[in-house]
Amino acid sequence: MSSGFISPSDRIYRALLRLFPGDFRSEFESEMEQAFREQREGIERRRGKAGLFRLWGETIAGIFTTAPAEHLAMLRQDIQYALRMMRKNPSFTAVAVLTLALGIGANTAIVSVIDAVLLKPLPYRHGDQLVMLHQRAEKVGLAGVGYSAAEVQDYRRQNGSLSDLVEFHSMSFTLLSKNEATRVRTGVVSDGFFRVFGVKPILGRDFTSADDQPGAPAVLLLSYEYWKTHENSDPNIVGKTYRMNDRVHTVIGVLPPVPQYPSENDVYMPTTACPFRSNPKTVANRNARMVSLFGRLKPGVSVDHCQSDLAVIAARLEKQYPEAYPKELGFTSTAVSLRKEITDDAKPMLLVLLGAAGCVLLIACANVANLMLARMSGRERELMVRSALGAGQGRLLRQLFTESFLMALLAAAFGVLFASQSLKLLVDFTARLTPRAREIQVDGHMLLFALAAAFLTSIVAGSVAAIRPRNNFTPGLKDGGCNFSMDRRRVTARNALVVCQVAFSFVLLIGAGLMLRSFFKLRSVDPGFVPQRVLAMKVSLNWSKYSQGEHVLDLTDRLLSRLRQLPGVLSVAASSSYPLDADAMRFGGWNQRITIEGRPENGSERPPLTEVRSASVDYFKTLGIPLVEGRIFERSDNEHAPKVAIVNQTMARHYFQGSSPIGRRISNDGGESWVTVVGVVADVKELGLDRDTADELYLAHTQAPGLGSVLVRTQQDGIGLADDMRGALRSLDPEIAVPNVVTLEQAEHEAIASPRVMTDLLAIFAALALTIAAAGIGGILALTVNQRIHEIGIRVALGAKPGRVLSMIIGRGMGLVAIGLGIGLAASFAFTRMIKALLFQIEPTDPVTFAGVSVVLAAAALVACYVPARRALRIDPLVVLRQE
Amino acid sequence: MFQVLLALGDGEKHGYAILKEVEEQTDGHVRLSTGTLYAMIKRLLTDGIIEECRNRPPAEEDDQRRRYYRLTPLGRDVTVAEAERLEKLIATAREKHLLKRLKPA
Repeated sequence: MSSGFISPSDRIYRALLRLFPGDFRSEFESEMEQAFREQREGIERRRGKAGLFRLWGETIAGIFTTAPAEHLAMLRQDIQYALRMMRKNPSFTAVAVLTLALGIGANTAIVSVIDAVLLKPLPYRHGDQLVMLHQRAEKVGLAGVGYSAAEVQDYRRQNGSLSDLVEFHSMSFTLLSKNEATRVRTGVVSDGFFRVFGVKPILGRDFTSADDQPGAPAVLLLSYEYWKTHENSDPNIVGKTYRMNDRVHTVIGVLPPVPQYPSENDVYMPTTACPFRSNPKTVANRNARMVSLFGRLKPGVSVDHCQSDLAVIAARLEKQYPEAYPKELGFTSTAVSLRKEITDDAKPMLLVLLGAAGCVLLIACANVANLMLARMSGRERELMVRSALGAGQGRLLRQLFTESFLMALLAAAFGVLFASQSLKLLVDFTARLTPRAREIQVDGHMLLFALAAAFLTSIVAGSVAAIRPRNNFTPGLKDGGCNFSMDRRRVTARNALVVCQVAFSFVLLIGAGLMLRSFFKLRSVDPGFVPQRVLAMKVSLNWSKYSQGEHVLDLTDRLLSRLRQLPGVLSVAASSSYPLDADAMRFGGWNQRITIEGRPENGSERPPLTEVRSASVDYFKTLGIPLVEGRIFERSDNEHAPKVAIVNQTMARHYFQGSSPIGRRISNDGGESWVTVVGVVADVKELGLDRDTADELYLAHTQAPGLGSVLVRTQQDGIGLADDMRGALRSLDPEIAVPNVVTLEQAEHEAIASPRVMTDLLAIFAALALTIAAAGIGGILALTVNQRIHEIGIRVALGAKPGRVLSMIIGRGMGLVAIGLGIGLAASFAFTRMIKALLFQIEPTDPVTFAGVSVVLAAAALVACYVPARRALRIDPLVVLRQE
Repeated sequence: MFQVLLALGDGEKHGYAILKEVEEQTDGHVRLSTGTLYAMIKRLLTDGIIEECRNRPPAEEDDQRRRYYRLTPLGRDVTVAEAERLEKLIATAREKHLLKRLKPA
């Protein structure tokens, strides 16, 4: 038979044989071809074409059943072998699995958060069509002005791009059920609000237009959380009644667990049930801007189109009502997609965390690749023997990948465990940034990602480990496999891995360093008051009961005198708010337009706007806010005395440049009534330590009663007084909801919680990266010392000084570190620009951080180099040469 | 698999010869495909039941692509043990008059 000719049948058969594993083929392929050829010829002779057809059928069926079985058997063999190797080197396996688990775990956790917050569609019907409208006073840089009832009607009627337009605002009310008063955050919504979002109550019914008519019976929808925590998921809740704002409110349904935007609320009511929104004065006043607007884009309409539509309406309204839209303020309306609105705050932080976690995984991956590569050198002999025994290159590769995949899979399992454990921390952190945090969960996506990460890791680590010496196997076998010349390719690969580890660690350390410096700056910001030993109790009065000033004053007087009698109390004060209150920080301050007597109003200039607070006599003393000029409030500044005010230094500087504001008059109602400035106090960081101080105008509590909080300064740490404070309030009016009491230190702590968690997370990642990288550098140098043991022995024998040997080894390691630092430095300049927005009073190229991190990394690397270098010093030349 | 061992019972054979022998032994009832045969050969080689035979036929009868296999001493023992087991089974069947009834001589 001519061996040169290959018949079509042979070709087909050979193609079918490709279904077998390579090893199987290399062993039996030509033999099987020969056997099949002979079988075919024999059958054709004996049974003709019919026999041939049957033979093909049987052959194909045979191959299709045996080939997969062969693959499986090989896989089983590979897995058993890999497990044996892993058990044989428990420390190697533990280090590799642990580092990978941390890398995979960190990424899995952060990807779960990103998946839930940034990637998944909004949990609302056609969420991408939902937009939020913003009215802004562009010329004075005022965002979020809100809309008034009249404007809601105008925008609803005049727009052509939205199929629905609904309103929302949030208020705190007191809910009375039997004898219990609870302060509830109430979302006030117009008819159709939940229908626009596609949210259907899980119990009962939605609001209808009948509920939103003046005079309709007051009804409530409960949020899922409120129903669960306060009503123990009572299935018969529909029909339950509460008293609220002096009216009976009936529960008509319970909402499903969906993220609530712009704020989380306990209960929802129609606009007609809100005493403020339904007040005829509010409805008639175009300037009473208090609600947010949400809309659904008509099919096919883009956000941009909607923007221009809104701009046209804004311009029309400005022309129509010039008093309501002063030209110098530049009123305009814009639309932002709800998805962007909800997730924009979280996005930069999450992406930075993803970058950091990705770096950790890459470093861990490089470390495992390096470990495997190092171990490959040790296993060279074994691999050569296997190769000489006929295992093909492909088989050995497969073996390597199986090993690295098994380790990665194990790491992924630990990683998922680690991720699901750390998820709560991440959810708490994310909840500060977006209401979508509640959607974060351990789900299929998370497991899938961990698997994918494991797979990719094993491919990367396995491929690097598979880099083989170019020379063939025989020399290795000949010299007993214990003295391989260092193959350039492997050395280069290992060096490159160490350089990468150093570079990535550097970038991470810079990120963490910048955040840390920024956080310290933030923490060292002077809040302008003394938060130690001050308790703040938030008071939520029943608006309808305390609508008259004298009622509020009476309650305040009695409350303050009771609190003064509590043991250890140094001073007490009442005010409309307290500094660094979490709610105030979330929703912003209460800006009011003021008029300053004798100050010319320049049409092109931003009209004076200021935060207005009401403060009792001892407010400044209790908070430790220093008086700068004039006097603070006195008891004589009562409701019958001339009205007085105190301004902060920023406001004094701002509007009374050079001259003293004492004696000047200010009006916050367009000149109807005036208050006289009697003092200037130091600036206080009311709305956040990272914010610029706003202009503040304090009115005397007796002249502008507004009881929002009560402050108590105590002799010692006084949180133990919290119950007494609540008791004092409830004894005066049991219908006031049980208030929350916090120390101002807690408030200050809470105010910087987000940057703190962010800094902690980055610091953990950076520490992890540094440890892994240092271990990597130490590992590779230890190997170098091992491999150059003879050379070092000879050098020592020839009289090389210990210092010289030490510097040779350390120099080698530090050379790699220097290259890594150089690359890391360049990468950091690019990376840190991304976190600029997260930094406070620190430039992304802060030289102190860059220098500090370089020193820390170099020091860690030096320690890592020193350990193997010390070993090199202890080499006994005689022992080494004898071995030779 | 036993058929393959039986085929090798009277000396070394190459793949096609084994296929033919099995077919003949079973009056054409069992026809192995090459895939099935070589998967078995691989297992038998790994388990040390058969081995490759270095002695090849004279050059004019040989084909370099063929490999010859024979039973190892262990393989012979295994084959004998299996044959004896079957023999005992048959004997039992005969004692119980099952065989006769099923397949009269």
